[in-house]
Amino acid sequence: MNAVGIRDREQPLDLAEALSRCARNDEVALRSILDAEGGKMLGVAQRMLQRRELAEEAVQDCMVQIWRMAHQFRASDGSARGWIFAVLRNRCLNILRDGRRLEHLSPEDLTAMQDARLHATRQPLDALGDRVALKDCLAALEPKSRRAILLAYIGGFTHGEIAAIQSIPLGTAKAWIRRGLNHLRTCLS
Amino acid sequence: MSGEDLDDRADDFVLGLLEDRAETDAAESLATDPAWAAAVGRARDKLLPLDMTAEEQPLAAHLWTSIRPRLRDAAPVVALPVARSESKRRRFVPAALAACIGLLAGALLGGSWFASEPVVIAVLLAEDGTPTAVVEDYGSTEAHIRFVSDVEVPQNRQMQVWTLPSAEMGPVSLGVLSGADAAALNPPRLPLPNNGQLYEITLEPYGGSTTGRPTGTILAKGLAARQRDG
Repeated sequence: MNAVGIRDREQPLDLAEALSRCARNDEVALRSILDAEGGKMLGVAQRMLQRRELAEEAVQDCMVQIWRMAHQFRASDGSARGWIFAVLRNRCLNILRDGRRLEHLSPEDLTAMQDARLHATRQPLDALGDRVALKDCLAALEPKSRRAILLAYIGGFTHGEIAAIQSIPLGTAKAWIRRGLNHLRTCLS
Repeated sequence: MSGEDLDDRADDFVLGLLEDRAETDAAESLATDPAWAAAVGRARDKLLPLDMTAEEQPLAAHLWTSIRPRLRDAAPVVALPVARSESKRRRFVPAALAACIGLLAGALLGGSWFASEPVVIAVLLAEDGTPTAVVEDYGSTEAHIRFVSDVEVPQNRQMQVWTLPSAEMGPVSLGVLSGADAAALNPPRLPLPNNGQLYEITLEPYGGSTTGRPTGTILAKGLAARQRDG
């Protein structure tokens, strides 16, 4: 049997199977998920939260939540990786939207954090890679819709924040996002 | 809800754009509404490539050492295969009967009991005396709970099961429940449960008490009846 945290890098981890083992109280399986996905998870959390200590807190909480909720994962409802990163994103959003978690930051630190979050959402679509259909579908959207969707998904901004960033009424922000998401769905189907 | 409305809502849920109440309802429905869970799965996988564009970060060694001690208090709660359509009231009759038979047999046999039987059984009562749940503790990191009457769990709250092995140890979590269904708990390694040991269910913030101790309203509590020795 493999030692904790050691696995053959040539063999990608079967995440669905690892979740199933977590549900059976197998800590080695949880550790293997952290080994396989943790670097990318920390990257997603860092991009949304910008501050290292908050990003690490989000990944830690996420792993505990995965441990607790692994029995709820059903392979028929999408990929295991999608489920794992949804748990992480949810934890990041909770940190962003729980005022108490950020109240210790100085106004300067808060402003720097918001600016960095904004900047992170501007990354070029090239990072998606040529073989990802989502890249072409996002590129085909109206720029204002695409921007609003990336602000929400990558930056974790709310409808209200997106409206303020784009200097548009709340209803318009919602409409842009809705229109963009509908186009994406059609494009990807 | 039409298929398109379902997909619209799933997109909003995955983007984190639902309001608080709608967000909680949406998250809770994942366990009970297969069409909704499938729509959310589609929406997640559609946007997942965006997560893969994040720059991978080196993991500090302390990350796992911080996670590991927290697993014990966050034991996975596995739902037992109980037919959902079965009335919880109807389930009370055999559950209560089993509890009574267990008590009687325990008394008659003077503790000589099969190892597959729980060490203690506790019938947990609501404040008005209504039997609410039955906990069977096998004393070796295995315990089960089942509900014998309906319970109301407010939004943003989850039930957490506790026991009090001793005043010195204080209350210990046996697990957070995802709903009022029969469930296998995974208690930490504890001294063998005693006759008269307290078990209770409290309403805690979603995800469980953040302090490691019960903080919310007590939904039901009861004292254990010893069924066998170890």
